Amino acid sequence: MATQPYALACEGGLDKSSSSFELLRRPGAATRLRNFEVDVAGGYRRINGFSAFGGSSAANPSTDNDILGLHVYADGVIACSSTNVYFTLDGITWLQINRASVAGGGDNYSTFTGRSAAARTSQGLAHFATYEGDTTYGEVIITDEGSGVKPFYFKMTGSGALSDRTYFAKEITVDGSVYPKFCTIHDKHLVVAGSSTEPNGIHYSGTNDIDDFSSTGSGTIILDDQVVGLRSFREDLIIFCRNSIWKLSNINNSSTIAVEPITKNIGCLDGRSIQEIGGDLVFLAPDGIRTLAGTVRIGDVELGTVSRAIQPVMKDIADNIGTYNVSSIVIRDKSQYRLYYGSSSTGDSSEGIIGTLKTNAQGFTEFQWSETKGIDASAAVTSGFNSSGVEKHYHGDYNGKVYNHDTGDNLINASGADANIVAEYQTPDLDYGDLGTLKTLKYVKISATPEGTVSTKLRIRYNYDDSDSPQPSDYTLSVDKPSLFGTAVFGTSAGHVFGAASDPITRQVVEGSGHSNYFRIFSDDQNSPYTINGIYIDYEPSGRK
Amino acid sequence: MATTYLTLTNELLRELNEVVLTSANFSAAVGIQGHAQSCINRAYNDIVMAEPQWGFLATGESGATDPFYGNVYVETVAGTRWYELKSSSSSIINDYGSIDWDNFYLTTIGVSGASSPYTSRNLKFITTEEWKDHLREQENIDDADSQNYGEPRFIIRSPDARKFGVSPIPDKVYRVWFFAWDLPTALSAHDDAIVFPDVFTPVLMARARYHFHQFKDSPQNAAFALQDYKEGLKKMRSALLNPVPTYMSTDHI
Repeated sequence: MATQPYALACEGGLDKSSSSFELLRRPGAATRLRNFEVDVAGGYRRINGFSAFGGSSAANPSTDNDILGLHVYADGVIACSSTNVYFTLDGITWLQINRASVAGGGDNYSTFTGRSAAARTSQGLAHFATYEGDTTYGEVIITDEGSGVKPFYFKMTGSGALSDRTYFAKEITVDGSVYPKFCTIHDKHLVVAGSSTEPNGIHYSGTNDIDDFSSTGSGTIILDDQVVGLRSFREDLIIFCRNSIWKLSNINNSSTIAVEPITKNIGCLDGRSIQEIGGDLVFLAPDGIRTLAGTVRIGDVELGTVSRAIQPVMKDIADNIGTYNVSSIVIRDKSQYRLYYGSSSTGDSSEGIIGTLKTNAQGFTEFQWSETKGIDASAAVTSGFNSSGVEKHYHGDYNGKVYNHDTGDNLINASGADANIVAEYQTPDLDYGDLGTLKTLKYVKISATPEGTVSTKLRIRYNYDDSDSPQPSDYTLSVDKPSLFGTAVFGTSAGHVFGAASDPITRQVVEGSGHSNYFRIFSDDQNSPYTINGIYIDYEPSGRK
Repeated sequence: MATTYLTLTNELLRELNEVVLTSANFSAAVGIQGHAQSCINRAYNDIVMAEPQWGFLATGESGATDPFYGNVYVETVAGTRWYELKSSSSSIINDYGSIDWDNFYLTTIGVSGASSPYTSRNLKFITTEEWKDHLREQENIDDADSQNYGEPRFIIRSPDARKFGVSPIPDKVYRVWFFAWDLPTALSAHDDAIVFPDVFTPVLMARARYHFHQFKDSPQNAAFALQDYKEGLKKMRSALLNPVPTYMSTDHI
């Protein structure tokens, strides 16, 4: 019987919720997609690794104490660790910025560094808000979930070396001993909430007066639920509580200011999961990642779960939210929302999920998911635009280290050594249109876009990995990086091949037969990333026995 | 060394693009691999069934006890007519696969205590019909009465094919030489080797392929394989069974 062709395009992302039969009709989806990301340009791309911020000279801000929060600020990054807050330009030299008695007009470097520390007692996971205002770099407010101190205010002006700059720092009094955990900037106000003594209280500062909670425009709101996060979204302030979500409107009009419930049925599990992406707010709810999208009608709100495809993963997170820390990041140029979860003990086994906003074959924009493993970023991860307008990404771990996030070809393990990226992509079981027919596979052609020399393995398993079916050994696939004029150096040592296609097709003769089979493409190395675009299969159908 | 069961099975699997076996997992073959093993044995049995008297199935080397014809013998007992062809066999499952009934030979040479002059004669095969019609009654009367018995002259085959009988009932110990062929032993272990020369393995593979393609509902390929098998079997017969010249003679003048 003549062979027949079959081709699948890698699209749809990880699907752990559909049944194996449902997945027969979605061959492009993945049943495993670990340390891959859905590429907005198509296909599944092995993720980048991360590298030490500061390179070989990288230093920890506070020995090996947990990184409790990171925030892109000015031309550097702010890190919270132990009972202190630090700023660095390069990851090598860290400047402690939680200083007391700083002059109202600012301190120069030597004065600032000579000030006593304003200890961030019981500092927990930190939250940041930047009020851009009219200053060079804006003003940063830091609160933390330890709820042991007042919000911390920091501003820096000047440029060049740290020693040439001016520093402003102080603690902001909200209301007596109210030490809020959460903060955000909303419509010219600093809004803080959720102190341990007043977990359901929300305080907002005076208008255009973010360090004063008693001036004109300030106020207080008490809800009947505990606040876990705040986020300004369009005209409204969204207040995420444990079991409900509220909307504060008209904060600048004392006669029309209002707090209305969006839902009293769904809350947010962790405020550090809240991000804005694609015109929506996304957050971690008990039933998964949800969006909070304003609709055309003012005041109307649509709630929707966007993580149904990875519901088992979300259930695991929700079931263990008491032991997991959660952090999230948006990588804008990849249209990605990343959520990391784990604890100080998960180390190199820490996991995360990546949601890429992508338009599917039906023309709808949706999140398509994948997983990460080995990126210990649940303590802190951040992205933001620096003063040059460049988007920067960082994460910190429980060993006190800060890393450049999403860069390089390797991970770094808990011991500080370079580690392989263990990546795997697995298709659903494919029935080639008829589950009843026995098929003998002849060869496959894999379309991959290498970003360097790539060596992956291909595994084929028949009949849903049935132990009663013979299963072939793994195949090694090597893809050379093409040399493109103007961009690459010729020579095998550089891993470039003259005349190679930019999206080469790798042909692999395979063996075995079954009524269905899946393909797993996996790598365990420190090679360059690659994107799997699709798979072509040549097979021979042979009866229905 | 002749081709092993593992080699044959893997050749079949490889030809049909299936996952091959190793000596380590051969005994644990599953699914299509197990079927490939079965196809090899079925093909082997098919070749044997096509010609039960292949030389490679002979029970013993011919002429091993020179100058006698035959590769196995049974010694008679005075007063006993029927003898199992294969005394060590407990059932027809383990009996010889084939017997040359036209070449039974009776002698006292080699019999313990026998001396010259020796008895030496061919035993003529007669059917049980002839025997019961003309010999059985008087021999049974003799057995029940005077017990003179006699020197056997005929050989008869029991209806269940498990025994031969001699007529007359022997009066003493003789050796009855004949030619026997064994039943094939199914290949089992990975290093079990086929019993015929490697040059004929394509015939076995063609037949195995025929069974395999039938399993895969591929009648066209099965037909091709069957044709290969038939032609191969013909050549195998020609090479192993009919290598001697054949003559026709006539007494016309």
